[in-house]
Amino acid sequence: MRTPFRGFTAILYKEFLVVLRDPLTLFFMLFPPIVEMIAFGYALDTDVKHMATLVFDEDRTEESRSLVKQFENTQTFKIVGEVQSVTELAAAIRKGKAYVGIQIPPGFTRNLRAGRTAKVQVLIDGSNSSIAASALNTSLNVGFRNGLLTLTERFGLRELPVEVRPQILYNPEMRSPNFFVPGVIGIVLQIATVFATAMSLVRERERGTLEQLLVSPLSRWGLMLGKLAPYLIISMVMAVGLFAIMRYLFHVPIAGDLGALAAATFFYIFTLLSLGLLISTRATNQIQALQMTMITILPSVFFSGFIFPRETMPDIFYAISTVLPATYYIELERALVLRGASLADFWFNLVLLAAMGLALFSLCALRFKKKIA
Amino acid sequence: MPAETMIQCEALTKRFGHFTAVDHVSFSVGKGSIFGFLGPNGSGKSTVIRMLCGLLEPSDGQGRIAGFDVARQTEEIKPLIGYMSQKFSLYDELTVHENLSFYGRLYGLKGAALKQRYDELVALTHIEPYIGRRAGLLSGGWRQRLAMACSLMHHPTVLFLDEPTAGIDPVARRELWDLLFEFSSKGMTLFVTTHYMDEAERCSHVGYIHMSKLVVCGEPDDLKQLPVVNPPGTKRIDVTCDHVTTGLQVVRRLPGVRTATVFGQSMHLLVDEKMSEGFIRDELAKNKIPQADIRPIAPSLEDVFVALTATGNNGGPK
Repeated sequence: MRTPFRGFTAILYKEFLVVLRDPLTLFFMLFPPIVEMIAFGYALDTDVKHMATLVFDEDRTEESRSLVKQFENTQTFKIVGEVQSVTELAAAIRKGKAYVGIQIPPGFTRNLRAGRTAKVQVLIDGSNSSIAASALNTSLNVGFRNGLLTLTERFGLRELPVEVRPQILYNPEMRSPNFFVPGVIGIVLQIATVFATAMSLVRERERGTLEQLLVSPLSRWGLMLGKLAPYLIISMVMAVGLFAIMRYLFHVPIAGDLGALAAATFFYIFTLLSLGLLISTRATNQIQALQMTMITILPSVFFSGFIFPRETMPDIFYAISTVLPATYYIELERALVLRGASLADFWFNLVLLAAMGLALFSLCALRFKKKIA
Repeated sequence: MPAETMIQCEALTKRFGHFTAVDHVSFSVGKGSIFGFLGPNGSGKSTVIRMLCGLLEPSDGQGRIAGFDVARQTEEIKPLIGYMSQKFSLYDELTVHENLSFYGRLYGLKGAALKQRYDELVALTHIEPYIGRRAGLLSGGWRQRLAMACSLMHHPTVLFLDEPTAGIDPVARRELWDLLFEFSSKGMTLFVTTHYMDEAERCSHVGYIHMSKLVVCGEPDDLKQLPVVNPPGTKRIDVTCDHVTTGLQVVRRLPGVRTATVFGQSMHLLVDEKMSEGFIRDELAKNKIPQADIRPIAPSLEDVFVALTATGNNGGPK
């Protein structure tokens, strides 16, 4: 009777019934993460492809058409039409009808054939810097390549003197979902889980049932574990669903060991649920609990390395990132999913997650006062 | 025969900042008695219960349940006490059956013992027809029964009930009291807060708390004999007549009438002993209230509390 987890099975029994009895709560726990996952996954696709491009071809030769074709073949540009003046070209970009304008002046072919520099002008909308950078690089590349090929031909060479052959490891197509979606799982799990336990004790306090629990011989460890365990199971099921979406909807292959991924996810969720419980021991009503939950989510979104690389952050933000569970989980997750790393290489992250979880959980149990007011 | 003391308070005090919610309250409750704890809202009734249940730390003084200190031996006390809070703290989304099972398990009951106790309490409270219904869908009376059954699952020896009959219909109220008498006869000690004077009359002992202080405590019959309630040279009479509100104005002006209060269709008067019934009847008749019916009465508990609150007198038999 006087075990440290006294009353645990009773709380577990009740929590499961409450959760299952209230399909709306269950729905709101499971459904938004899936929607968020899909929305985030698509929204964070930064692959720049098929940018609307207009052409003002004053040369109108086979060579000029071939050049336009080369632009289009990069997949970065999509020719959406032709215009008849530079003014028209600039106006179209200003109005947002196109990101890029290619102007080929008259005499392009003549200059090319005569061995003079054949100039081509490319106008790029710089308002979105990452799109502009991509357009700039690609168009410069087209120019260089074209120029080099012309030169090799002129000097009668068969091959280019130097050729760099980069090989992209782990994400050969450089798809941005491969980078972002595993991170999205880390963030989405945080939103769903912290919220769930943050509400649970507060709700009992608001309804007066907590008082009833406090007059019973229930131990605080029993109460905390009983509150946490059902959500741990539900969240693990949810995580399986999220990884399935990643694998089959976003086509991100899981290169590493599934068992290691499951262990990492387990400790991550345990840590987050403990964080929620900690909020729940501090908050006096559900609104407060909700606000405190929000406060924990934003740093994870910005500083965990989910979107922005931690290495380029100012020191203060880097310092914040080192205390976020999401930082270690997302790092570990990317290593396991994308690089097929083994746990042996990242045991530190796993141990740290487990330690954070146990520390937070113990803190909740120790901080929780079996008194009211 | 002095019964074993189950609840004891010695100068029990609770301060919230500068506000003293419970001010040096002392009383004791014997095993098997029904202790009625009365007082207006905010007088400190619930605070006393919460301190005795170990939910609040006393700021000063001592409380003991079955000899255990409420501040230091909370865990020893918990298995002994049952607590039914004002709000009937039930899990609305759980059924009657599940609420009972949960509270049983919470106190370590399982298997056959749980089943047996469950059956006993279902039979006792007659809640069988609602067994599969969610607690949130029960009416007030049935919620109260369920809450009581839940607080009894672990065979408590002391049961605290914080306004168990607030907002309950009269039939459910009477049935609850029948149950309380049954428990008391089996040796359970009951501590009940209430607003109803008729309920107070049924308690074996009552305490009255006003402005954080215990004004009086004792057996109802003893309290009615207190000198402050029956000042020497006075008597209490009941005057039944038409137009009691007008009548009240009349009698209040009469010399020798000390207090006068309306009780439904009649007035309760505290008057000088030598005052004749005929005099009062005549004076009422002069004011067009004929045929007043006058008879002597004993003080009620309400009279006791009114008298004590008015004089601010502390004391009475403990």
